[in-house]
Amino acid sequence: MGKNYKSDIVPGIVLMVFSICYLALIPTVSEFVGLGSTPLTNHFVPELWGGVLLFLGIWIFVRGLRKRKRFLAEGGIPEKGAGFWSSEKEVVESFVALTIYVALMTPVGFVISTILYITAQILILTKVELWKKTWLPALITGVVFGVALDYIFKVFLNVLLPTGILGW
Amino acid sequence: MKKKMLAMALAGTMAALALTGCGSGKGSAAASSAAETTAAATTEAANSSTETEQTASAGDASAWKPTKTINIYCTHSAGGDTDYMARLLAKNLETELGVTVVVSNVAGSNGATCMQQYKDGPKDGYTFIASNTAALNGNEVTGMVDFGYDAFEPVAVYGIQSGENLVVPANAPYDDLQSLLDATKKNPGQIKLGISTGGGVYIESAVLQNLGGAQFNVIDEGDAATRLTALLGGAIDVTSLPYSTAADYIKDGQLKSLCTLLSKAPTLLPDQKTASETIPELKIDTEYVLLAPKGTDANAVAAVNAAIVNISKTDEWKEAVNSYCYQDPYVLNVDDTIQNLKEQRDLFMSFKDFLK
Amino acid sequence: MILQGLVAVFQPLTILLIAVGTFVGIIFGAIPGLTATMAIVMFLPVTYSMTASQGISTLMALYIGGISGGLISAILLNIPGTPSSVATCFDGKPMADKGEAGKALSTGVVFSFIGTAIGIALLIILAPVLCDVALKFQAYEYCALAIFSLSMVIALTGHDTPKGLVSAVLGALLATVGLAPIDSRPRFTFGLYQLNNGFALVVLLIGLFAISEVMAYAENVRQDQNFTVKEDFKMKGLGFTAKEFVSNIPNAIRSALIGVGIGILPGIGGGVSCMISYTVSKNLSKQRELYGTGIMDGVVASETANNATIGGAMIPLLSLGIPGDAATAMLLGGLQVHNVSPGPLIYQNNGQVVYAIFFAMMVAAVFMLLFMMLGMKIFVSVLKIPKNFLLPVVVVLCGIGAIGNANMAFDTYVMVGFGLMAYLMKKAKIPSVPMILGFILGPMFEENLRRCSQLTSSDPFYNHPIFMVLIAVTVVVSVFSVRANQKEAKIAAGQEKKALENAENQ
Repeated sequence: MGKNYKSDIVPGIVLMVFSICYLALIPTVSEFVGLGSTPLTNHFVPELWGGVLLFLGIWIFVRGLRKRKRFLAEGGIPEKGAGFWSSEKEVVESFVALTIYVALMTPVGFVISTILYITAQILILTKVELWKKTWLPALITGVVFGVALDYIFKVFLNVLLPTGILGW
Repeated sequence: MKKKMLAMALAGTMAALALTGCGSGKGSAAASSAAETTAAATTEAANSSTETEQTASAGDASAWKPTKTINIYCTHSAGGDTDYMARLLAKNLETELGVTVVVSNVAGSNGATCMQQYKDGPKDGYTFIASNTAALNGNEVTGMVDFGYDAFEPVAVYGIQSGENLVVPANAPYDDLQSLLDATKKNPGQIKLGISTGGGVYIESAVLQNLGGAQFNVIDEGDAATRLTALLGGAIDVTSLPYSTAADYIKDGQLKSLCTLLSKAPTLLPDQKTASETIPELKIDTEYVLLAPKGTDANAVAAVNAAIVNISKTDEWKEAVNSYCYQDPYVLNVDDTIQNLKEQRDLFMSFKDFLK
Repeated sequence: MILQGLVAVFQPLTILLIAVGTFVGIIFGAIPGLTATMAIVMFLPVTYSMTASQGISTLMALYIGGISGGLISAILLNIPGTPSSVATCFDGKPMADKGEAGKALSTGVVFSFIGTAIGIALLIILAPVLCDVALKFQAYEYCALAIFSLSMVIALTGHDTPKGLVSAVLGALLATVGLAPIDSRPRFTFGLYQLNNGFALVVLLIGLFAISEVMAYAENVRQDQNFTVKEDFKMKGLGFTAKEFVSNIPNAIRSALIGVGIGILPGIGGGVSCMISYTVSKNLSKQRELYGTGIMDGVVASETANNATIGGAMIPLLSLGIPGDAATAMLLGGLQVHNVSPGPLIYQNNGQVVYAIFFAMMVAAVFMLLFMMLGMKIFVSVLKIPKNFLLPVVVVLCGIGAIGNANMAFDTYVMVGFGLMAYLMKKAKIPSVPMILGFILGPMFEENLRRCSQLTSSDPFYNHPIFMVLIAVTVVVSVFSVRANQKEAKIAAGQEKKALENAENQ
């Protein structure tokens, strides 16, 4: 039961830090005091949410500590942090691919960045052993969707998809 | 009336000095003269003359011809009046210029988002921003943005809105702005005025309170739709609504309009009182304006302005504007547009002290 | 006038436009990242050149199709196609996992139709009465309603109440980014004007559901290469029995009433109505514990309510000229362009258009039923597409949706940020759904709370009976939900213990 204390302690700490940062930022917001200003200013509700979040963060953190105590008392052995890279490699790769995709989209344009992204993401989501068989279909998928979606949304539906250097 | 008088006097002078000429340089223009209605003025522009008043910014309308798609970015979302007018303009520009004109909406923050994004946009003459003057000047004076109309190359003012109206329930005991002001002075803080903080309506309420001596209990009620709900539901006693929003309720006898905030009653609603009769400074003229990114080729600006002037002379345009804005066509040349924007900005800036 | 409206709609061209509109709407609804609102925004300019009846019929078809289409991806991919179908995932996806994708879809479609029909019926019959109710809702009432709806979070979170609350508060906190309500002062924008508009709901939805679905798959790339979900698509008739249908009628009617009720109150929308209806249905059900495990009733509650919201939202739009959400605001614009001004005089001035709208909605609802039933086999075949190919394309579509929402490429960065946040939340076992409620209701709560603070001097809260009742109900519901959660937590703990013991014994 207490084994999952980590999923309480770590989020608890993160939430506490986050809500303190958030609360610290509130005074930088300019308060509006002109005509029609409200007795509760634009600081009030952020203070409320920030405060509640801080409270919840502490709650979860303390709960996690208690679980840990009970767990250790029951003779449990704390797990060592497993190699993150080995277990979550694809997730990290996916986020990196996605970040590069959106960062490249404006300078390079929608079509090229999409072709690259779809191809890369398909391969990331495929076992390495199967890449030989997959890369060509992946590339074709990328090209077909990159070009088709660009045409449908930019030309027909008038969405402002980035055009990029080559005018695509 | 100060501002409008100035505009008209200036426009009149310009018209007299004569404006356009084929190839004579300055963008062709239509301007309202002091003696004439705006509608008549559009025909005036056709009378060309040799004399021109060249300014540094003026371009040569005949020196530029579009060859590819023109993009207009509208500062407000689809469905609103700014968008409707932008699309009406785009449709007519297509026939006039012979190239595709695409309107895209980049809405938010009363137009500030779009203006931020495109004020330094492509300067090739194929990028324009369609907005309205109350947003352009209002955002500057209320501090939403730190730039004004001079961050752009203004192309043309191409229409006037049907105008904001001060609206009260039909059974309210006041019939004009003065009696409403008197009532608030008699019962300070008891009459609830619904406003939307930050926009043109906010400027209006600040002027009412500071220059009109009104003593409302000012309550934020958000956009026109929620202000209407609040007025109908009895949560507020008076608010400001675009004429088009309130029109049916006025005809139906549920609401009545005390006055328009325009400096001059719309041509199709000539009987409306104006707020400036009571408080001279209270003039919120929302005009539709086309802007180009700063540094855009002056010839392109002149050419597009000339095209808009031509469009404004068509029956189709008149019909559309009549039914949508209750106004006659109203299009200004480049210099008048700049002058017009400057005057409204100066007027708004004079309120700056009470717009905190 | 009724006849004129009928004639206006039953023209070959208008019918064709409705059919196309419904079809396009379903596609926009079904594709994650593209929403009903976006479909209306994109096609609104096209309708400018049509006649009033044609234009508004097309828009209504897009609206109905868009809200209904969202259930497809919610059930098949666990990614809600529109905010309105978030609650459809709760039981729709487990049903699909059990091999009942067809049953889940047909339940969703049939009850979407029923919901739409009830909504239209109430729109036609009760519009004036309901309008008066809507006008009674002012700052105090909205404030209480926001609190009441937020209290639903407790019921939605299940056994881990604090983490559910964390999620909701985080959502509300994210919604404080951008221009503050009322005074339009920028908050937490770090000087980026792109943040002035705040975060868009659809971008949050993409991050929470679409991106996290990709990452969930990425985690398992090396473990199982079972690309296709099991799809035993054998379905007789509608996939559910007459008995199941009948037993869900009270649920459907209640959900439809909740949907219409939320619809008539401007500013809330289908995203909230499906979740509230789901929660209410769960709390009143005798088989409370089965909700979330793939029970038909859950899909019924969500899909009936979100479609009924359409009819509800049309009531203030037509009778008062007040749009309730982004989609109806577009519809208002679409009407005004044709010189039809919704409001008290619409029946007198434009009765023909009003009846045309009613008929167009009915026709669109029928087309929706038809297309979705006929398309069922095609939809289910989505499950046959290897997910490693499907998900990247979904991400790209989501990116387009994020850009298209406000025509800003900046929103793609936000999308990635939310995706990362969603992934970390999953790791921390923080549920993502309450966040949506917090995100929608937070600003509504703040805006009205601050208005109330302006009003207290002249108009104190005890003058507002609806406010008092809602607050009382909120307290009762919260207490009830906390208790139910504790019970659930005990059961969960018991099961875990048993599982552990079993594991140790082996």
